[in-house]
Amino acid sequence: MKREEATAVQSGYPGWPGHSWRGPEAPFARRNRHLTDLIVGKLLFIVAVLAILVVFFIIGFLLRDGYQIVLETGIWNFLGGVDWNPAGSPPSFGILPLIVGTILVTALAMAIAVPLSMATAIYIAEIAGPGTKAVVKPAVELLAGIPSVVYGFFGLILLTDWIRILFDRPSGSSWLAGSILLAIMAIPTITSVAEDALSSVPREFREGSLALGATRWQTIRSVIVPGAVSGISAAVILGMGRAIGETMAVLMVTGNAAVIPDPITNVFSPVRTLTGTLGIEMGEVAFGSLHYHALFGVAVVLLAITLAVNGLSRLIIRRMQRTPARSRAPGPLMQAVHGLIPLSLPHRARRRIIHPKTTQKFAFLLISMGVVIVLAALGVILLEIIVKGAGAISLEFLTAPPSDLGRAGGIFPAIVGTLYLVAGALAVALPLGIATAIYLIEYTADTWLTRGIRAAVDLLNGTPSIVFGLFGFAFLVLFLNFGVSLIAGQITLGLMVLPTIIRTTEESLRAIPKSLREGSYALGASKWQTVWRVVLPPALPGIITGAILSIGRAAGETAPIMFTAAVFSSRYLPSSLFEPVMSLPYHLFILTTSVAGADDQKFGTALVLLMMVLSIYLIAILVRHRYNRATVV
Amino acid sequence: MDDSTILETRDLNLWYGPKQALLDISIRIPKNTVTALIGPSGCGKSTLLRCFNRMNDLIDSARITGRILFEGDDIYADHTDVYTIREKIGMVFQKPNPFPKSIYENVAYGPRIHGVRRKEVLDDVVETSLKRAALWEEVEDRLHEPALALSGGQQQRLCIARSLAVEPRVILMDEPCSALDPIATAKIEDLIIRLARDYTVVIVTHNMQQAARVSEYTGFMYMGRLVEFDRTQRIFEDPTEELTENYITGRFG
Repeated sequence: MKREEATAVQSGYPGWPGHSWRGPEAPFARRNRHLTDLIVGKLLFIVAVLAILVVFFIIGFLLRDGYQIVLETGIWNFLGGVDWNPAGSPPSFGILPLIVGTILVTALAMAIAVPLSMATAIYIAEIAGPGTKAVVKPAVELLAGIPSVVYGFFGLILLTDWIRILFDRPSGSSWLAGSILLAIMAIPTITSVAEDALSSVPREFREGSLALGATRWQTIRSVIVPGAVSGISAAVILGMGRAIGETMAVLMVTGNAAVIPDPITNVFSPVRTLTGTLGIEMGEVAFGSLHYHALFGVAVVLLAITLAVNGLSRLIIRRMQRTPARSRAPGPLMQAVHGLIPLSLPHRARRRIIHPKTTQKFAFLLISMGVVIVLAALGVILLEIIVKGAGAISLEFLTAPPSDLGRAGGIFPAIVGTLYLVAGALAVALPLGIATAIYLIEYTADTWLTRGIRAAVDLLNGTPSIVFGLFGFAFLVLFLNFGVSLIAGQITLGLMVLPTIIRTTEESLRAIPKSLREGSYALGASKWQTVWRVVLPPALPGIITGAILSIGRAAGETAPIMFTAAVFSSRYLPSSLFEPVMSLPYHLFILTTSVAGADDQKFGTALVLLMMVLSIYLIAILVRHRYNRATVV
Repeated sequence: MDDSTILETRDLNLWYGPKQALLDISIRIPKNTVTALIGPSGCGKSTLLRCFNRMNDLIDSARITGRILFEGDDIYADHTDVYTIREKIGMVFQKPNPFPKSIYENVAYGPRIHGVRRKEVLDDVVETSLKRAALWEEVEDRLHEPALALSGGQQQRLCIARSLAVEPRVILMDEPCSALDPIATAKIEDLIIRLARDYTVVIVTHNMQQAARVSEYTGFMYMGRLVEFDRTQRIFEDPTEELTENYITGRFG
């Protein structure tokens, strides 16, 4: 009662008669909000700790089992041994051929992908008109959405065949095939990040150069590309990370012989990568055996590579941030000026044989050719699958279970199985991921601890999906004795997308200006009121986009589920969480690699999977688009 | 403390990490007046302002000693509720920071978080607050449009309305016009003078003319110290301290 009187007196301002909303209801809310703050804070803390423990547990688990092989064989025999023969007597576990295979496949892939991506990025950022840009940019983003098993399918059915015929080889399964496929897969990553970097070079640089009489190509070459060089390096490193981590597509086309090509430049030699080895051998390994530990050793090497790639890109990004745009400004501009000085010197002008305009024409021609190659790759893959797949699709195909090892019948259980897996993965990852991100951004200061947590999350974010498959197989399927089951697949996929969800949610929250939070606090709002009513609503579209992209990724992944959840041909849907399940990517993988004939079913499955994943990505793009329009107003 | 003082600091010191930002500040802010805090950049005037509603709590490295009294009660006392302090002592920021919601929802936000749910009450608060902030005529037929569609000056008046809707006793303003054009600035200044009838306004400004135009009292700060505090007329016409005089006459800063 006392309190009500007090508030009534408080609001009795002159000139504000009868307008106060402060009645008996206000103090009630006041009493509650501290309790709510406390409870929500504790809950978020618990969930965040859980998620972080999971992250560190995965890393620790891999390290512990991987360490065994080093104890057994010695680190140099393991890393430097040239013989990988786990089934031999005695078995030998030298992973040098695998490391060399990974390096070779990735290096050649980068040699193909980087020039093509740069051409496409420059074209989109600097040359294309708005109309062409609106076609080329989404087309490249579309390439990123195609599941890796579909690339592998395309590679195995067509690409290796072409290579075999074109170069007159006994088999097209080779280093070259793997690199071409990885190049196509890395192109969208490199292109979009590099394009961002090019587009963010300030306009003044461009104008400054053009005002000196430089051609557009001279401006691009000597001002814009140097100005975006950090971003471009980050793009290349990211693309490289993607290529190193890829399992399915590589495994399907490289021939997988654990040999070092002889001579080392023989691109037609079969090779085997680190990830491919895990994909091939994981299913047949005995729990706790030397071979088992050797596979964990391979996973740890992959973790170390991821760590190195992350560290490198972080270094570059930090260098980019440390030199703010303004202090960087003279750099590229001065370079531009220096680059142009010779043009104005008469004796140089006379000696110059090729006119800058001719150079520009030639350069733009090359760039256009690069773009055409990229679009052609996309076109060939899509067309091939759509044309041949459309014939296979019928009501029966979509609604019936498979029969005769997938040569007849449909793929209904695989479609539903994929949905089950994705739904379960989201149920695991979304609450954990979003709560962890909220806790990290809103409830903790930037300390060495949160930086350590972020580094661990980033490490897992870049970790190849097959490593999650190995973890799920070893821990969930074998150790916890779940067996190959729906729940093991759901958890494995959930853990795989957890770092992505944490990071995208964190980014969306970080993008909300501090001033909004201050505005809310200044009105007397509590912490949770501020987070719930002011911070989360505008961050939601970003969080949803991240979640949808994770759905797409989870739906298209094969590597994490092939030894944890998937079964090839099942007439029935699982009746409990502890039964195995069919899934589209795995079905396509087995059809392609192990079932002769059944071409219709292969293309049909590829098309259904492609459409499913691409429509998920399309939704993500629409959400973002709508959000962008809504905020511009 | 006498009745006419609403806010008071006693020997207030503040550190950001190892760096001391405020030194032994003792000031008494009179009730229902406009008090201006002036001084060169980095002198601590905004920091002092942010002490009055404990916004510095949000900065992890900030540490204070001394006392801050609001109506005689220590706002850093254990039993004091920081959220209630901020209800009674509102704040308007340098850059307009409307929430990405509608105009209506921006103003209704404060009452809502303090427990008001009835629509007619909210409607009433929104209308009254917008009228008091001299924005009602300009937005009355588009209350449900996004606040971010308003001009900068309108956004700042919306932020003032949003602050008024919580029925504060004191409004702290941190260079509220520095992001606005002269016409919008004039409107806000008008508004500040009118608000002083019912509220206590403390305004930080780097614009001395503005301080002279709107305030009754002025504090001059320099390097974390309050050099002089007096009636505005006195500060501008006959300051006691030489430092103040040098600043007023534009010899530095």
